Amino acid sequence: MNPQGTNNEQRVGEQVLITKRTARWAKLAVLAAGVLALAAVTISPSYAANDTEVYIVQGLPGKNLDVEIDGKSVASGVKTADVAGPFKVKPGKNTVTFSENGNEVLKRTFSVKDGGKADVVAHLPASSSGDPLVTVYKYEDVKVPKGKAFLAVSHTAAVPPADIQVNGQVLFANIANGESLDLTVPVATYKVAIVPSGKKKPVYFGPVSLTVKGGAINLVYALGDPDKKTMNVAVHVVETGKTGSDKPSEVNTGTGGQAVGEGPALQVNLAR
Amino acid sequence: MQSRFRSLERRGPGLRLCLVSVLCLITFFCGCTAQASSGNSRPTSGGPDGHSSSVAPAREGHPAASQRVTFIPEHLTLRGHGSAEVQPAETVDGLLKVPENVQHVGWWDGSAQAGEPFGATVIAGHVDSATEGIGFFARLRSIKVGEMVTLRAGSHSLKYRVTSVRDVPRRALATDSQAFKQSGPHRLVLITCTGHYHRDRGGYDNNLVVIAKPRGMAR
Repeated sequence: MNPQGTNNEQRVGEQVLITKRTARWAKLAVLAAGVLALAAVTISPSYAANDTEVYIVQGLPGKNLDVEIDGKSVASGVKTADVAGPFKVKPGKNTVTFSENGNEVLKRTFSVKDGGKADVVAHLPASSSGDPLVTVYKYEDVKVPKGKAFLAVSHTAAVPPADIQVNGQVLFANIANGESLDLTVPVATYKVAIVPSGKKKPVYFGPVSLTVKGGAINLVYALGDPDKKTMNVAVHVVETGKTGSDKPSEVNTGTGGQAVGEGPALQVNLAR
Repeated sequence: MQSRFRSLERRGPGLRLCLVSVLCLITFFCGCTAQASSGNSRPTSGGPDGHSSSVAPAREGHPAASQRVTFIPEHLTLRGHGSAEVQPAETVDGLLKVPENVQHVGWWDGSAQAGEPFGATVIAGHVDSATEGIGFFARLRSIKVGEMVTLRAGSHSLKYRVTSVRDVPRRALATDSQAFKQSGPHRLVLITCTGHYHRDRGGYDNNLVVIAKPRGMAR
């Protein structure tokens, strides 16, 4: 908003200096600049408000899906474990349709608040004999310190409640289809495996290596069906702001000497 | 600054459970609706192509009950030695800027939150200062292995047990002691100054580094 306004104002200043005849134009220009500035102020929030968006996560094994949002085609041939988007949607209720070769596979409504973000996931239910479903996982910008990642894991696979082992230890416990858990972890490559809640076997998936991205939200979806050997993960990484300062090289937390009986005496002596 | 998402995620287990149960109920009912309409037959009511109001709603993802509590510490208690307010502290030109009020201590804002699975939660504070005298962390000079330290923020808390107390030359703190390491199992690292005080330089030789291990999970 500023460049235009500033230019106009500068121009205004010059004109006034050159001749008084242009003073009336100058006033108009100032007015125009003001209007422009005002317009910019009112425009920017509504632009932000339009940033209501979703990603599509294709969690159905063995399918290439075409996706429509509110009857409009947004993606075609989305493969298993792929993430498509972002797609701008209107705040409030929307309808998503997944189809394959012209046949409707799934159709659901979902709601996203103004400016909200969500992953719309088509996936299998906990029991592989059930119908596929759509789960919407909402997320917001989470700032993380440099060198750390916000990691959210979601269960969208045809398995009962599960534990997620990270480097051999249960880091995410007893998570059921449709649920998620999150943590902030240092940037590293982790060995990830999915096992039944409270057990070590059978291993539903993995171990696989997962490298998390720092300064970002890492949304991980476990999907597929171990009985059909279609277990997989979809990973959606969203860059976000960083927070926190660098590692200190020094901590200087004693500047008086009083703790060892050195400090105040000096000050008192000087004062006298 | 913490985002809305984070503050939502960092609520107490009670609130979270409450939220989870509400979501479960919603999910349950939505599930029923979905079940009803995703069977053999196409939706029966609504517009010509089954558009409009008859389309079943998608399920809402929600946190599992085991969602871990993590929090930025706001209060630190040394059992038997009182407590101090904890404020976020930033590194500026390599120096950790702890609160000037020597009765307060500073949480390095690049370190782990209490309750995270990995990395050190680093809290540093004055042993003394030229203007304010003896600081809260002068108490660390007498802390012993086995003593308890509690971090709190609102209704959240996590207890730690001291496992080591040692002096590290100030210049070697960043490289030798691994005080700031953000990998490895979660721990609490308390830092102040100790050793010989050099009046001419206005500083101490060493840092006192206290390491404490968490007792269970944050609540």
